Amino acid sequence: MTHALLEVKHLDKHFGGLHVLKDINITVQEGEIVGILGPNGAGKTTLFNLLTGFIPADEGQVLLRGKSLREMRSNAIVGLGVARTFQLCRPFVGLTVLENVLVGSLGPRVKTDDIGARAMHLLDQVGLAGKAHTASELLSYGDLRRLEIARALATDPELLLLDEPFAGLGSSEIEALSELIRKLHREQKLTILLIEHKLREFMQLVSRVVAIDFGEVIAEGAPADIVNNPRVIEAYIGRQNPLEQTQHA
Amino acid sequence: MKAFRGLDQFSVTGGLAALAVLGFLPTLFPGKYLIGVLTVAAIYGIWSVSWDFMSGLTGRENFGHSLFIGVGAYTAGFLNVQFGWGPWWSLPASMVIAALFGLVLGFPTLRLRGPYFALAMLSAAVIMQRLMLIFWEFTGGEEGIQDITPLIKDPLHYYWFVLALLGGITWFLAWMARSRWGLILRAIRGDEATCLAAGLPITTYKIASLIISAAFAGLGGALYAHYQLQVSPQLFAVVTSITIITMVYVGGMGTIFGPVGGALLLTLMTEGLRNFGEWRLMIYSLLLIFILFFLPNGIVAPTWNRLRHLFSQERP
Repeated sequence: MTHALLEVKHLDKHFGGLHVLKDINITVQEGEIVGILGPNGAGKTTLFNLLTGFIPADEGQVLLRGKSLREMRSNAIVGLGVARTFQLCRPFVGLTVLENVLVGSLGPRVKTDDIGARAMHLLDQVGLAGKAHTASELLSYGDLRRLEIARALATDPELLLLDEPFAGLGSSEIEALSELIRKLHREQKLTILLIEHKLREFMQLVSRVVAIDFGEVIAEGAPADIVNNPRVIEAYIGRQNPLEQTQHA
Repeated sequence: MKAFRGLDQFSVTGGLAALAVLGFLPTLFPGKYLIGVLTVAAIYGIWSVSWDFMSGLTGRENFGHSLFIGVGAYTAGFLNVQFGWGPWWSLPASMVIAALFGLVLGFPTLRLRGPYFALAMLSAAVIMQRLMLIFWEFTGGEEGIQDITPLIKDPLHYYWFVLALLGGITWFLAWMARSRWGLILRAIRGDEATCLAAGLPITTYKIASLIISAAFAGLGGALYAHYQLQVSPQLFAVVTSITIITMVYVGGMGTIFGPVGGALLLTLMTEGLRNFGEWRLMIYSLLLIFILFFLPNGIVAPTWNRLRHLFSQERP
């Protein structure tokens, strides 16, 4: 029996009295780019934190190729091929750009002896090879986003979780980063789960969208269907097509 | 491409030259006083470098390093005086017992984020000091354990032995700090959550580093016990830990070799200020405040790096 790459079944999470995720069910097939859409506070980052073991679920299952990730530590989940980036860039302060990527290569999946050459290759892929020996805290925000992706790629993932990769970036940086994500998906056959607020770029990148509001999945489908879904429009911005509103803004 | 550089030639040559100068000093200026001061400075060097390996690299400050020092010293005292073991047994035994304390204390506290580790270590050292007084029948109470046998009778030879150990420990820990292990410890200092996202078992690394740090601190404690020929509960005092932390700050935190210089500098400064009588503490404190405020990266490591830059093509 073949399993989907990622299956989220009846996932539930409370923070005290707040029910932040309610009976979430998502399936991600290998090679897909799936977008998670939802307004602020909908529970998107909490979902990422649950998938990667940063916080435990109250109920439900997360399965990677049929193997349960429940009760697994976050570093062990990385060992199974799940990597993530953070909403706010979190480089290793005090380390150079190259060292940041090297740390990502020290995890359990990387078997090569020459992790230095591998790290340089990854920096080259994301366009940071020229800044390999720069202190990571001196990078621009756009470069920090690239560094986050390089560090996540260094763990040799099958599934890459990107938490708002375009946040804080200008339009040219967004365009370049979108192209990088497409390239990674195309050339490395990565499966990508993506949270983003920049709707236009988001809709152009993803093959399928799961819309969440108040911790519930309210719609799922192709980007074109989602932007016209009345529940999504209502939840996300009121009464207007979310894509149109982004364009007007 | 080589990912980890190991020790550079300047550090190795400079370190050996510094050791040689320190080793020759007592022969140039003979006298038991200088040998005594340098022996204590070298032991403080071992304590400082062992503190820096765990706390300096990971940023998880250990305010109870004196606990491992005291445990090492009392292990030497118990084995030598109460059980009649030969003095050389003290060295491995003090390392093992201190390492066990590191494991027992690190396992519950290093899993937690926030200040729990610092507070737990501080409390544990205070508790151990009180226990030494409460169980005075076994520990000798306030007076501690007396009449410990010296490891080497000649003070100069003992100083050279301690200096050689300091050199070996510093080389080993500096080599570790430049390996993948050291990179992970520095990454933990940078961001623990990102370390987890990189798939690293950070608690294991932190506990293992504390065990190594504790073992060398315990070894220093045993060396101190065999130098003073007695141990007392004062070794567990928080002021011992604070003195070591100050030495690390002055030397340059997270640099491994810097704290050795910091230990030598502050020990010699303490002795050099004796002539100033009651002004001694005032001058010492003002100098420390000046260093900590105006030279936040310390004195020794930045100076060393500037010298390295002058003498080689490496970046500072």
